Amino acid sequence: MDSKRRGFLKSAAMAAASSMVLGDGEFSLPVLGAADAPNDGDDVTWNKAPCRFCGTGCHVQVGVHDGRVVAVAGDKAAEVNKGLLCVKGYHVGGILYGADRLTKPLLRKDGRLVEIEWDEAIDLIAKRIMDAPEKFAFYGSGQWTIPEGYAAQKLMKGGLSNNHIDPNARLCMASAVTGFLATYGVDEPAGCYDDLDACDVLITWGNNPAEMHPILFSRVTDRRSRGENVRIIDISTRRTRTTDAANDYLEMDPHGDVAIALGIMNQLIASGTYDKDFVEKHCAFRALESESPTLQGEAISEDEFRKRIAAYTPERVEELSGVPADKIRMLGKLFGDRNLRITSLWCMGMNQHTMGTAVNSLVHGVHLLSGHFGRPGDAPTSLTGQPSACGTVREVGTLAHALPGGRVVANPDHRGQCEGFWNLPAGRISPTPGFHTVKMFDQFTKSAEEGGDIDTLFVQVTNPGQTLPNLNKLFNDKEILKDKFLIVSEVYPTATTQLADLILPAALWVEKNGIYGNSERRTQQWFKMVDPPGEARDDTWMTIAIAHRLLELGHEGMKDKDGEFIFAVKDDQGEDIPIWEFEHYYDTNVDKHLFEEYRQFTTMKHKNLAPYDEYVKARGLRWPVVQQDDGSWRETRFRFAGFDDPFVAEGEEFDFYHSSSGDGRAQVWFHDYQPPPEVPDEEFPMWLCTGRVLEHWHTGTMTRRLPQLNRAMPTAYVEMNLQDALAQNIRQGETVVIESLRGTTQLPVWIDGRGRPPRGTIFVPFFDETKLINNCTLDDHDPFSKQPDYKKCAARVRKLSEASS
Amino acid sequence: MSDQPKLAGRGRLMSMFLFVVIAVSAIGYLVGLSDGVPRPDGVSERSPTDVAETSAVDASGKVIPAVSYAEIPATPMGPTVAYQAKPVALSDQLAYDLFKKIEPSEADKLDSSRIRSSRRAYNGAPPIIPHAVEHTSDAACYACHGGGVRLDGMKASVMSHAYLANCVQCHSPPPPTPFQDVPHDVDNHFVGLAAPQAGKRAYPGAPPTIPHSQWMRESCNACHGGPNGWAGMESTHPWRTNCTQCHAPSAILDQAIPAKTIPMLPPLDVVVN
Repeated sequence: MDSKRRGFLKSAAMAAASSMVLGDGEFSLPVLGAADAPNDGDDVTWNKAPCRFCGTGCHVQVGVHDGRVVAVAGDKAAEVNKGLLCVKGYHVGGILYGADRLTKPLLRKDGRLVEIEWDEAIDLIAKRIMDAPEKFAFYGSGQWTIPEGYAAQKLMKGGLSNNHIDPNARLCMASAVTGFLATYGVDEPAGCYDDLDACDVLITWGNNPAEMHPILFSRVTDRRSRGENVRIIDISTRRTRTTDAANDYLEMDPHGDVAIALGIMNQLIASGTYDKDFVEKHCAFRALESESPTLQGEAISEDEFRKRIAAYTPERVEELSGVPADKIRMLGKLFGDRNLRITSLWCMGMNQHTMGTAVNSLVHGVHLLSGHFGRPGDAPTSLTGQPSACGTVREVGTLAHALPGGRVVANPDHRGQCEGFWNLPAGRISPTPGFHTVKMFDQFTKSAEEGGDIDTLFVQVTNPGQTLPNLNKLFNDKEILKDKFLIVSEVYPTATTQLADLILPAALWVEKNGIYGNSERRTQQWFKMVDPPGEARDDTWMTIAIAHRLLELGHEGMKDKDGEFIFAVKDDQGEDIPIWEFEHYYDTNVDKHLFEEYRQFTTMKHKNLAPYDEYVKARGLRWPVVQQDDGSWRETRFRFAGFDDPFVAEGEEFDFYHSSSGDGRAQVWFHDYQPPPEVPDEEFPMWLCTGRVLEHWHTGTMTRRLPQLNRAMPTAYVEMNLQDALAQNIRQGETVVIESLRGTTQLPVWIDGRGRPPRGTIFVPFFDETKLINNCTLDDHDPFSKQPDYKKCAARVRKLSEASS
Repeated sequence: MSDQPKLAGRGRLMSMFLFVVIAVSAIGYLVGLSDGVPRPDGVSERSPTDVAETSAVDASGKVIPAVSYAEIPATPMGPTVAYQAKPVALSDQLAYDLFKKIEPSEADKLDSSRIRSSRRAYNGAPPIIPHAVEHTSDAACYACHGGGVRLDGMKASVMSHAYLANCVQCHSPPPPTPFQDVPHDVDNHFVGLAAPQAGKRAYPGAPPTIPHSQWMRESCNACHGGPNGWAGMESTHPWRTNCTQCHAPSAILDQAIPAKTIPMLPPLDVVVN
């Protein structure tokens, strides 16, 4: 044991000792570092990485000493967060060191988990795939790094000719994607976070950024502290911390956002304050076909649009949304004022919605119709919840119907291009879209006799056993089906590993190289800084090792046209580097090889990426990144706007160059309001909404291992209105049963807690694996995006004594 | 029949157990007394937000008895009885003397370090909120932490950084009141960076360099001086206000320069004969 290591253990012991001295002492630091413990700075190596958690994409500086992460600092050079972090980000270093990290592959034999070797695990997976390649499915994640997702995508679509690959992002931002496609013909926001520094009005649509995207929200509220005037309008189904900072709070009924957007457009048309010039030059009108509607819809005339929108008067909108007609007029007036800069923010409220595609398109429509688009501060901005939902899912296209770079499997040209880039024989890629998430798990949890034709499922970097809606239907049945095989790559035990047949220990965050893509089109790179614990290994390596084992077993799909392994990496002498053997995986930078290959795909949709080495130097770059005459690389802040987007011809003010009408115009959509699929009734009288809290991220796999965060939020809860609680004689902190048609869960009550729901609404965060609210949620989903609605279903609250009787 | 000896055995065990419990509490109490807890700069058991405890209050804290109108004048409400008596004592507090001679003590410094470190995951992490909070609005935090408060042996630290909104975005609070008793311990082996003990001096008597980042610690007085600094860490010359005039910060710690090495001109090309 070298002296540094010894010193460190000593500090650890000191930490433990001081924790005995103090009450809340589990956070204690070594007060007096041992003689050779790092003394800030000097012995600590600092390096950049994006934060592991949400889609904001803050950069942190990670302090490493003696092979361990010991500190984290906000990165002052990062434009996203400018040196600030949130409480999760400050404690992100601790996620690597939870006591129950998985460190050894585990195989379930006769119902018990036993340790096995990696070779056996990889062999087992490859043989199951070999036996029935078409019954294999890959369930991935918006937390996959870009190379992880790209490798999985290539293995499935390019290697196995199997399109059953879908990510958890289907549950998270699929409706945002369809909204962008329907409106602009191409995915992802036109604006960026710079809009937050310039807007006069910020509208949060069913969104609580004060807790979910705190860095972005404080970017706005800090402007107020500096004396600037920003009006925040919160449109929500319950009061939150965002409401606390808002000038106006418009409380809507669940699903009311659709009506509100229609109402604003109605007012813009009725008062003639819409931006006639912008609409005439750059917009077209569109609506769903009356028979068999599609995402593309059909063109309608402006007159037809006027006629249909006329029905959504403020009074009608008040009936549908619960927001007073006056307030709808107020919003109409705001959007009618071109001197203001208005930014809309939304996230899961509009995406997890059975009319998700519609409401996304409508809010884009409000901005287009009013001309509040394309100037700094004037932007409809969709936020993502995962660090690489944009980078890995939307750009690499790790969805059942997609191919990299905005391509789709159904398009023969797109398939041909991908086969070209991958040097595959023509016809390798299957033209039929695979199963989307809900369907994939439906097929996996149904027996083969009932048509459940997925029998091996590989889950990487996500926790569907907690996050899928309607768990009793879509996940829990797996337990009784003996012929189904669930493989889970994880860092800690989760609700998903509980039913796993094979558990693979994964490397996490700075234990591996990585690249993420955040909400504002920013691609961010980091290097491995510490070793993973025990035998934990990189997810990309797992995919490549499985592919290589398939090659050894004789699977033809693992070879390209010239007989080379599809993941072959050559050294300078042209010899294969055996990256499928983990001891050689870091002989080269596999991330860089995969990224450079992937870059070729990105130019078709003008999402151009710079070479890997440019990202090493930067704190992320926003695509399209194009090379300039002097050889430097320039990022783009505002897409489609002539003053900033390099793909808009000189002299043009705007150009929607992927317009679905083919004429450079964006589509202003009309959608009729449709009622939600389930509404409260006598038996289930409450609206149930689910979501997150500041301290925990998604299923809490990482944040619930952090003492500081667990202390602040030790349990999930159900938020109730005081009057509802009084009516049922329910007291603060009392454990109750939440029931829906689909399942039940028990939760303690928090009356007038962090969020304050109105009468008839309850809210439950989903982070707690011991209190699964997704037993109750609904698997009904948007017809185009296939994204389920976690934000509203009918439920009831029962006292424990009543429920058990 | 066979129950009899077992029960007796259990009784013996129980009394032994109780004895151990009592002995431990007694020792703990004495140790506590000798330690003089609560420490003046730590978190007092009492808090300004504590509500009065009356004999009628259910010990579990779950039932708050209603009071009839007739009882109101006789019912203690708001701050505790002990606390209510305190304003009288406040006048005893000495006014802060900028020019008082400061003699930093290692023991004070150790105590202060221990309290500070107990609230941080690593040096540089935003401290957790060590006391109960009912209101997390910026104004509520600012009421005490904007300028710092020292009251009745309790101390509210001054913010070391400029005004930033949404305090609980970075400083994590204790569990929400209804969930105070929910166990929240979790086994994590993260070992945070220790706080530096002292800056480096070029020679004995030279002003030490600043051994930590200045980011989020722009206000030196928050820890090193003024009436609300930390014992043992105070500056011996708080009247001097331009700290970095003498104490050099670290560009690397402050993330001020991207380069790891200091760029210099190449050495002189001297021909050796």
